[in-house]
Amino acid sequence: MEPLDQELDQAELEMPAEPMLLNVGPAHPAMHGTVRCVMELSGEVIHHVDVQVGYLHRGFEKMCERGTWTQVFPYVDRCNYVSPMLNNVGFALACEKLLGISVPERCQWYRMALGELARISDHLTCDGAMAMELGAFTPFLWMIKAREMIWDLMEEETGARLTHSFGRVGGMASPPTDGFKEQARAVVKQILSVVAEVEKLLLGNRIFLDRLEGVGVISAEDAISLGWTGPCLRATGVPYDVRKAHPYLKYAEVDFDVPVGSASDCFDRFMVRIEEIKQSARIIEQSLERLADSGPINVDDPRVILPPKDEVYNTIEGTIQHFKIVMEGLKLPAGEVYSYTEGGNGELGFYLVSDGSGTPYRVRIRPPCFLVTAGLERVITGQMMADVVPSFGSLNMIGGECDR
Amino acid sequence: MAQLLIDLVKQQFGVAVLETHSLRGDETLTVEPNAWLAVCRFLRDTPRADMNMLTDLTAVDYPDREPRFEIVAHLVSLAKGHRLRVKTRVGDEEGDAEVDSLCELWAGANWLERECFDMFGVRFTGHPDLRRILLYPEFEGYPLRKDFPADRIQPLVPYRDVPNIDKLSPFGRDEGMSFGRQTHSGPETDDDSPVN
Amino acid sequence: MPTFKLDERDIPFEQGDTVIRAAQRAGVDIPHYCWHPGLSVAANCRMCLVELMPPPGRPALLLDVLAWDKEKQEYVPQKKPKLVPACQQGVSDGMVIKSQSSGHAQQARAAVQELLLLNHPVDCPICDQAGECRLQDYWLEHGATKKRMNDEPIHKPKAVPFGPNIVYDAERCIVCTRCVRVSEELAKDPVLSVRERGNLAEIVVAPGRQLDHAYTLMTEYVCPVGALTAVDFRFKARVWFLRSARTVCTGCATGCNSFTDFDPRNQKAYRYRPRENLAVNKYWMCDDGMLDHRRIHEQRVLAPRVSGEGVDAKIALEKAAAALKQASPESTAVLLSAEHSNEDNFALLELAKSFGFNQLFQSGRPAGQGDDILRHPDKNPNTAGIVRLAKPALLKPFAELASAIDGGTIKTVLALGSSLSVADKTDALKRAQVIALASHEGPLAQHARVLLPASTWAEADGTFVNAKGLAQESEKAIAPQGQSLPAFRWLAELARVAGKPLGWKKLTDLRKSMAQEAPPASLPASTAPAGVS
Repeated sequence: MEPLDQELDQAELEMPAEPMLLNVGPAHPAMHGTVRCVMELSGEVIHHVDVQVGYLHRGFEKMCERGTWTQVFPYVDRCNYVSPMLNNVGFALACEKLLGISVPERCQWYRMALGELARISDHLTCDGAMAMELGAFTPFLWMIKAREMIWDLMEEETGARLTHSFGRVGGMASPPTDGFKEQARAVVKQILSVVAEVEKLLLGNRIFLDRLEGVGVISAEDAISLGWTGPCLRATGVPYDVRKAHPYLKYAEVDFDVPVGSASDCFDRFMVRIEEIKQSARIIEQSLERLADSGPINVDDPRVILPPKDEVYNTIEGTIQHFKIVMEGLKLPAGEVYSYTEGGNGELGFYLVSDGSGTPYRVRIRPPCFLVTAGLERVITGQMMADVVPSFGSLNMIGGECDR
Repeated sequence: MAQLLIDLVKQQFGVAVLETHSLRGDETLTVEPNAWLAVCRFLRDTPRADMNMLTDLTAVDYPDREPRFEIVAHLVSLAKGHRLRVKTRVGDEEGDAEVDSLCELWAGANWLERECFDMFGVRFTGHPDLRRILLYPEFEGYPLRKDFPADRIQPLVPYRDVPNIDKLSPFGRDEGMSFGRQTHSGPETDDDSPVN
Repeated sequence: MPTFKLDERDIPFEQGDTVIRAAQRAGVDIPHYCWHPGLSVAANCRMCLVELMPPPGRPALLLDVLAWDKEKQEYVPQKKPKLVPACQQGVSDGMVIKSQSSGHAQQARAAVQELLLLNHPVDCPICDQAGECRLQDYWLEHGATKKRMNDEPIHKPKAVPFGPNIVYDAERCIVCTRCVRVSEELAKDPVLSVRERGNLAEIVVAPGRQLDHAYTLMTEYVCPVGALTAVDFRFKARVWFLRSARTVCTGCATGCNSFTDFDPRNQKAYRYRPRENLAVNKYWMCDDGMLDHRRIHEQRVLAPRVSGEGVDAKIALEKAAAALKQASPESTAVLLSAEHSNEDNFALLELAKSFGFNQLFQSGRPAGQGDDILRHPDKNPNTAGIVRLAKPALLKPFAELASAIDGGTIKTVLALGSSLSVADKTDALKRAQVIALASHEGPLAQHARVLLPASTWAEADGTFVNAKGLAQESEKAIAPQGQSLPAFRWLAELARVAGKPLGWKKLTDLRKSMAQEAPPASLPASTAPAGVS
């Protein structure tokens, strides 16, 4: 800042031309996720940036090659830790694709209902955190409160708030609880009211809008070339949603819309997520409608599904079945498949290679936000330093998924 | 649909197509490594293929095979809705592998190829910035190779010497937390290490 | 070569082959319990039933059966083809057989599997066979039906000691009679037989006898289920944690091919299994050999010693090097060991050559009992190998070394190995300066001035030449125990410390130089294919 007593025409107004190297992260309060941006600044304008990820790398894909296929579930849980159920279901679907089986209808509706609840939790977190990073703390607390309701419901269903490990190849760990439908409907209702309140709070707020509108713009071509999927791609106006484009489970039978943006800026990404929460609520309602109260939840295949415990303890057939699945692991036929679902951040793909044994040969997780984060450089180059915060927030990088 | 694509590529490239197969609806095309870039460019630019997105690129290590690595790309056409898996095989027994980079076709290939280099040590020629991405620069070895033991302990990385920085090293070699300080003592190998 | 069709696949066969044997040779598995390639055909388990298609133009042989009709809720008359056991059915040219593709065969196998499990106890969690049990494998592959019988199963004796090595559990037994046939046909001692019939049948030992011939562990090895268990391996380890290395048994000069099963987590060997090699041991190993894995961990020398005191490896090496440098070639003897591999002995010979020592002697374990089946009286795995390596020099027996020491012509002994072939002359070693590389406690370790702990055969790759002159490679299973190292590495270090480094440091380089200098038959031609049973 120029000294106040200096005459303006005497002092030099221009900032020194030499660029400044600024290192943001890996642990920075305005960065959700552990990531490091080494920026070359000229004044406040970012000339060049090197986004460095990997601080949360835990070697998932290597770990997956050690146990059985079933033992991968806890790992995928810990990839996207704000919507683990979507990862669970995604991995189960990939294994089932390779096995060539499909789960009973009841299970499919159940998976959809749980998955969409997880998606709401993902979007609530992203939008809440985005608002918080721009100084609006109240919406964050409200949205996290709403997310907590989902997690309570998940705890009721699966026994764990966050890391459910609830998916199984060929079904789910247990059928829906008796009160599931009732509770889910109540939760969704409350979430929608929270979302409405948040909209009222934020969408009339000039500061909030000014920080988002026209910031972090990327063209649709660039986004596609970068491999963006999910809300970030849809904010550029491309209506690509795996649930519509390649319907899996029962998505072809439910009625929902794919919200898209037009300006492909941070605000559009924020709004696409808000809108998707509402669409998810519609899907949940329809799924609960069609979720049968009784019926099998698992496929009837002794090579895949564990027998009931009383059979394990009392009959040799049950013991053998249990032993084979637990000790050797269920065997996926040799071959390779790529199975993809719509995760919280976009296309969540699993490329599985099996050699026919009980241990995965290769489990490749195609993390949606790895590719989205790859676009961060393009999004913030040329922007002001302060725009990094909403831009990065709107991309919703989940460290666990990006770095694995 | 994707079968048509394969026929299209076969027509165009003939013997460069090594193998095709289809499992559970996933159409797969394996091509010669020197046709890798050309096939991908063809798939992107031909209007009938129109594969405008590279969804995934990774590698799989088959240490017993020659060539050793399979580079696997998953392409998708958002407009036409079809998908294709394109593979190529590179790498010798030692793991020395090189293949053309797809960065000029899809921007997303940049990080995907860096990750592939990071995990498998496959070099992508023509990549603008090929360096480790998830692991740190001093990491030794390529962890997703099958001959990389999962329990290998990495050597302690010395404090990076950044010039003109007036900060002191936080830890000496023997200070700090005990974990991460161990050196790998795996099964005895037949190397030149002196006795005891 | 003539062929027959099995599930649409052309399988070549030789004259006199049965379906299962030809299929196995072609790599097609037909499920079976009682058949074993090394034993006679019993055809009593009925698991290998296949459908034999009638020759063209001929009607199929059909049987009248009653089949349960679910809709009518009653039995209805039906026809089904007569199935034949693949282990007994000889093949002829152009024969058409359906195994996996025959619904009737599948149904029959599922029924057999269900019958075999009818009275089977819920023992998998405490059974040593679990993880390599045919009942488990085939249940999942054939049938996978749930239990339909709700009655109490038949109870039979459990944990019956059959002899010093074998414990029998009648409830787990499927009476395939493999063990009976092993005793009769391999060991030529028909000590086992079947008592009773139907679901009361069980295996018994002849009255007044024990299962105590020299091949009792083969009965356990062929047992497809957990009925026979080895006292040695019982409750020691779970098989799915074990890994296998392709090794050669070092119990005698026969050189039976074996698998050494070890736990990689604690680097401990748990058992041997025979490895099929029709040129050496066919499918079998003797009890002495099977139990020889214990020597990998028992009575081991695990640290260097100087004059009986444990010391640092460096000090021991320096002492040894100093002693060797002072020793005059005329009064120094080199003792090769038939217990150790060609690589170890070659390294010793190279070291001796660089010092100019040329008085070569040989030793090893004392001779024992042999038979005309597998066991060789020479209890050393590599006698033929060291004789070949030492050529043209002649190896003199240890007795001559003892008298040379007593006569005062030999003052220093550089020795490899742990045992001495003659027990009563070991005192002579007290009067000489002995530098020994020993893996086990024994006279050499006891009298050594400087003792370096060598690894056993299980801890290093090595080549052994059996009595027939066949060089075979044995793979490393576990990491060297304690401070031990393969003898050739100690010798390379010793040469380096003494200032006369040998031309190699690694095993691969050693083998290269061995290939140049030693007779070609000292190296393994190629390893035998992995065995199947």
